Amino acid sequence: MAIPPQGTSRTCPGTEAVNTTEATGRAGALGIVAVLLGILLAAWHANEWMKFVIVGTPPYTVATMPEPDCEEDELVEEGLSLTECHQLAYAVHDISVSSPDWFKSFHVAVSAAGTLLSLLSIVIGIALVDYRQWAATAAVSVFGALAVLDVVSFTAVVNTGPLIRQMYLWSILIWFSIHLAMAIGAVVQRQYLRATPGLAGT
Amino acid sequence: MKPIKGYSRTALILHWFLAVSIFFLFISSWWMLGLPLASAEYRFREIPFQLHKNLGITLVAVIFVMLYVRFRHRPQPELKQMVPSWINRLASIDHVILYVMIFACCLSGYLSSSYSGWGTTLWWVVDLPNWGYENEELNILYSDMHLWTCWILLAIMAVHIGGALYHAFRNDGVIRRMLHL
Repeated sequence: MAIPPQGTSRTCPGTEAVNTTEATGRAGALGIVAVLLGILLAAWHANEWMKFVIVGTPPYTVATMPEPDCEEDELVEEGLSLTECHQLAYAVHDISVSSPDWFKSFHVAVSAAGTLLSLLSIVIGIALVDYRQWAATAAVSVFGALAVLDVVSFTAVVNTGPLIRQMYLWSILIWFSIHLAMAIGAVVQRQYLRATPGLAGT
Repeated sequence: MKPIKGYSRTALILHWFLAVSIFFLFISSWWMLGLPLASAEYRFREIPFQLHKNLGITLVAVIFVMLYVRFRHRPQPELKQMVPSWINRLASIDHVILYVMIFACCLSGYLSSSYSGWGTTLWWVVDLPNWGYENEELNILYSDMHLWTCWILLAIMAVHIGGALYHAFRNDGVIRRMLHL
């Protein structure tokens, strides 16, 4: 990979000079943030996937649920009160009672897509730090796709019950803001690279 | 910016596998401890706990492979002249504590599980022998150790990530040693 010399300036058509150190610095900052958030998001989506598979459809309803086993030694070990122990059994139903029929399979699919895109964003982040020219274009696609996935998720969650909404709306909104900022950062990086052919390496 | 020869591709893949796995373990453990206590009727904890233990055991193996790869292929030294010496010392100490804490966190978790009376089946294939017998006091002791070593690990990881961000925003090329294709 050809690394441009430090501090080289090139002129963007009709605009100010572009400093290569500034361009690699921006790519590096965007890349490390993409890697860090990609790791967190991959872990979060994978957990969501598991969560819905495990408790998405409990084998009993609130009316027919068995009495939870809250032995004293277990409560001490877990640091739980008796009330908390009973509440844990009720809380399993939070997802099922507040989900329309379509939501479980939808959320599992979104979580699977989210896990895949998050892992891709780690690779893209590494490529940005490594200053690969294709990385900026790929970053626009992946960060943009993550932002679109957040919008789709947000719209779906709005159409569920209050328990699901209080669980997810706020976190999806935060992730959407982050992905929007990253997608726009990637667009700007791509514009710089397109305006200065030969600035980046491979 | 000078080209910097970095860690090997194997070390790189293992490092990022570790990173994703550790965060998954933290996030999933916070969720799974909110599931009802295990009983004949309530079996929600079975799969998440087995997965947690299996991933933890796998991480210990990965750590050893990573250390082997790391010492077999030493990258060029960091750009020591570019950062204050205390930052270099902090980075070295942080790396050592990070490895020790990952190991301690996984080991204390496995010991706690061994004394809990609940068995571990490695990736649902091989039944692992219990190191201990069912003992409530030892289970709680190792469980507390697991908790605290993992909290310390999280704090150390924050320092580690902070260091990576510091070098990324300085654009001094140091993070390219672990971020290259």
